[in-house]
Amino acid sequence: MATRKKSLLKVIILGDSSVGKTSLMNQYVNKRFSTQYKATIGADFLTKEVVVDDRVVTMQIWDTAGQERFQSLGVAFYRGADCCVLVYDVTAPNSFKNLDSWRDEFLIQAGPRDPEHFPFVVLGNKVDLENRQVSTRRAQQWAQSKNDIPYYETSAKEGRNVEQAFQTIAKNALAQEAEVELYNEFPDKIRVQSDGNRNGNSDNCQC
Amino acid sequence: MYPWTSPSYVPSIPNPQKSTSPNGFDDQDKLLSEAVAKVRSQAFQMKRFLDKNRLMDALKCANPMLSELRTSLLSPKSYYELYMAITDELCHLELYLNDEFQKGRKVADLYEVVQNAGNIVPRLYLLITVGIVYIKSNPSLKRSILKDLVEMCRGVQHPLRGLFLRNYLLQLTRNLLPDALTPTIEAEGNVYDAIDFVLMNFAEMNKLWVRMQHQGHSSEKSRREQEREELKILVGTNLVRLSQLESASFETYQRLILPGILEQVVSCRDAIAQEYLMECIIQVFPDEFHLQTLDPFLKSCAQLQPGVNVKNIIISLIDRLTAYHQRNGKLVVTHSSEDGSHEIPDIQLFDIFSIQIAHIVQARNDMPLEDTISLQVALVSLAQKVYPERLDYIDKVLETTEIILDRLNMMKISHNLPVNHELCRLLRLCVDFYNNILTLIQLNHFAPLMEKLDYISRKSLALYVLMNVFENETLIPTADEVDSVLTMVMPLIRDEDAMESNSGEQQTVPSNRSAQDVDPEDFAEEQGIVARFVHFLKAEDPDMQYKILQTARKHFGSGGTERIKHILPPLVFAAYQLVYKYKSISEEDENWDKKCQKIVQFCHSTISALAKADLPEIALRLYLQGALVIGKVDYSNHETVAYDFMTQAFSLYEDEMSDSKSQLAAIILIMSTFEQMTCFGEENAEPLRTNCALAASKLLKKPDQCRGVVSCASLFWSGKKDGEEMRDEKRTLECLKKGVRIASQCLDTGVQVQLYVELLNHYLFYFERGNSLITVAMLNQLIAKINEELPNLEQSEETKQIGVHYRNTMSHIKSRMESNDAGLEISFAGITLSS
Repeated sequence: MATRKKSLLKVIILGDSSVGKTSLMNQYVNKRFSTQYKATIGADFLTKEVVVDDRVVTMQIWDTAGQERFQSLGVAFYRGADCCVLVYDVTAPNSFKNLDSWRDEFLIQAGPRDPEHFPFVVLGNKVDLENRQVSTRRAQQWAQSKNDIPYYETSAKEGRNVEQAFQTIAKNALAQEAEVELYNEFPDKIRVQSDGNRNGNSDNCQC
Repeated sequence: MYPWTSPSYVPSIPNPQKSTSPNGFDDQDKLLSEAVAKVRSQAFQMKRFLDKNRLMDALKCANPMLSELRTSLLSPKSYYELYMAITDELCHLELYLNDEFQKGRKVADLYEVVQNAGNIVPRLYLLITVGIVYIKSNPSLKRSILKDLVEMCRGVQHPLRGLFLRNYLLQLTRNLLPDALTPTIEAEGNVYDAIDFVLMNFAEMNKLWVRMQHQGHSSEKSRREQEREELKILVGTNLVRLSQLESASFETYQRLILPGILEQVVSCRDAIAQEYLMECIIQVFPDEFHLQTLDPFLKSCAQLQPGVNVKNIIISLIDRLTAYHQRNGKLVVTHSSEDGSHEIPDIQLFDIFSIQIAHIVQARNDMPLEDTISLQVALVSLAQKVYPERLDYIDKVLETTEIILDRLNMMKISHNLPVNHELCRLLRLCVDFYNNILTLIQLNHFAPLMEKLDYISRKSLALYVLMNVFENETLIPTADEVDSVLTMVMPLIRDEDAMESNSGEQQTVPSNRSAQDVDPEDFAEEQGIVARFVHFLKAEDPDMQYKILQTARKHFGSGGTERIKHILPPLVFAAYQLVYKYKSISEEDENWDKKCQKIVQFCHSTISALAKADLPEIALRLYLQGALVIGKVDYSNHETVAYDFMTQAFSLYEDEMSDSKSQLAAIILIMSTFEQMTCFGEENAEPLRTNCALAASKLLKKPDQCRGVVSCASLFWSGKKDGEEMRDEKRTLECLKKGVRIASQCLDTGVQVQLYVELLNHYLFYFERGNSLITVAMLNQLIAKINEELPNLEQSEETKQIGVHYRNTMSHIKSRMESNDAGLEISFAGITLSS
């Protein structure tokens, strides 16, 4: 089919509460950071246009609540995601341990076509803080063990690595989307019928 | 906290399979997948038309797609899925329009065109989509279009549809809301327009949400409440939007935003909405704002509907602010305003909460008592975390709690009641926080509050306190503190009845829970803990230590036989240690002599209390221990006192010991104690020695007699005469010979052989130590006897053991015979080794 000029990429950010999901998104989209803590309830998105391989794409970035009680309607917004960003806080080992659960939860709920190769990106946030608890090596090992997920260490506060991380996210999401479109776009089969009348018509002869 | 840890969490299956759930989920899945299929096919068409730049045709497809949202058949969760599927598709339309508008292709009347859609739901979704595109392409339309859209949405009054429609409006306007104090173009609007917009949307959504409660049949109330519970997030998103407005300063929050929200919350008079929205305010706005708006917020809490769980709201707020304090280490709020940033001094968090909670408790007399107590728990936890030094805060909360319970005349609060649970939580929080019982007794209202509980709870709390003492190794260093502490743990020291009669309030109803009902093992364990605690009553200064022991003695005295059995012995041992202590400082304390006398007297009377309580075995052992201690501490008169202690032991032996087993054990203990003592002159030693020998020979059973008499031999050998070992070879041998004679009278050959083997060992012992009267012939004689009898014994476990004992003895002899050790004075030559 004809490709439209613009692509729409859906990206979901997941992770424990207060690891900095909202801050990362705000830093990326609005270039702003606030030390004030506001819990996210529910889920909603910001959009941003990015250029990937000379293509302009619109990225729809879904920021989610880390606490289950704030997801009373379920997680229908996982569906159709093109990339999932897993965030943990390098000063909170539990948030790192929970990455496994977030990843599994996402794969179960979103049901991507090819879970093995679905693009994830892992972000270890808050590297500006001094009391780091999760080592780079440990995080890298984990990311490698999960089919080589790209791993970035970020600081939403200082903007460190945020741009780079989202570039990778966009790139991987785009690759994923292209693949899905091949399969998924046509709602109905297109029947190619061998029509006797037409076949007999010599006007349609390919030669 | 996480979806997968929630008990209600069921991972849903992504590609809908048929579930067999009874609640019509089958239908839901089917309806949903049908609707989604229609959406997909329309969306496909729509996108194809967009690709071909046929906007009008695309809109014609969007209309039926959006019409799926008119359904009344879907549950909120299914509707949400459908909504997600549709809005995902609408994005493509929005992107297309944005593109076109950017290229300058004007479709000026589009805003009017989409209003031709037949049904209001699709019409408004399209209107919002187009409206947003208009705003993006021409910001000067912002204020009027936003106003228009939020008004137009009133057209949908069906709660579910209306809520989602307005959610769509909120979603699309994110990042478009005017967020400046003074905009460059006035028509773009300022942050106050944004606040008006969201507050209005919020009010409308809240109305729709509340209305759900009152629609439909009353039998479906619980389902309806469940559905409302699911939908709450949509209403809450409005508050999120308000919190996202960057140019809304604290001042704006205080003046406009918070009052606007609170007014809506209070006036909707709906418990579900109120509880959720208050929680929502706490979560979505920053701590810095909350800290300065505690009063209005908490005042509103007092005005909420009766069904609202105000306790949870306040606890949630307290938790959040304490966490904030712990992150930042202070409660100072830095304010940036036009005239620069200034700091607002420390906020009196405790005072504010304390006062407001009191108001709430007063205003809401329907609140369950346990909730009232839970609030006090929250207050204590706040005070401890934020003001760890302020003991007076804690005491104030405990006092308030006590007053509340007093007012309701609550006494002996049963352990079955939820109030009891909360009260225990309150008290344990104090125990755990200070980890120091001495701090607890500084709290004037801790112990009185403990007394409000029933006996069982008081007891378990008392045990909890003691375990905490052990963990922290807290020593109780003064008599006054010991007094307070032991009063606090009284349920462990006295029976319930005894406690009551003590407090002067005679209870006519017999208590159904006395020491007898308690499982004896549990009781023993519990008293073991109290006994262990005695060792923590310890002062550096010996005079104070003495006072401590006296105080403790007073408390423990009335615990009854079952208790003093466990508790008094450690007290006596502590007193003995104190005697040694005085001895060690005798050079510094000239009164040490008199003090020792007093302590020994204290011990004497304590032990006699045990003896009187029909516990002769314990008393006898404590007397003997005392005699040993006194013997070593030569204060004036100590020989007479030691003698007295020995005779006390003797009379207990004679008067109170009835069964032969304990008699033997007791006499052997008496003898071995006496054997070690050096303080006696012959005048006192002789009668004791003779009495031991006499008592041993008068034991009832022959084997006991035999063993007793043989043990007596040591008194004549290593026992002291004028401080020196006696080494009376003749009388030692006499005892041994008497032992052999008694053994020969035993009829049971098994026992007889056993005794012979034991005797052989005794003979060898003194032989090796050089008693010249013991000859190799005597040993051979015994060996011959054993060799003769041992093979005839019936095979049994005992016989086997006798055999082993004997063989070990013989190999000992053998090793001695083969030894080249020149130090050996005695020749083992001539002993018959093999049978």
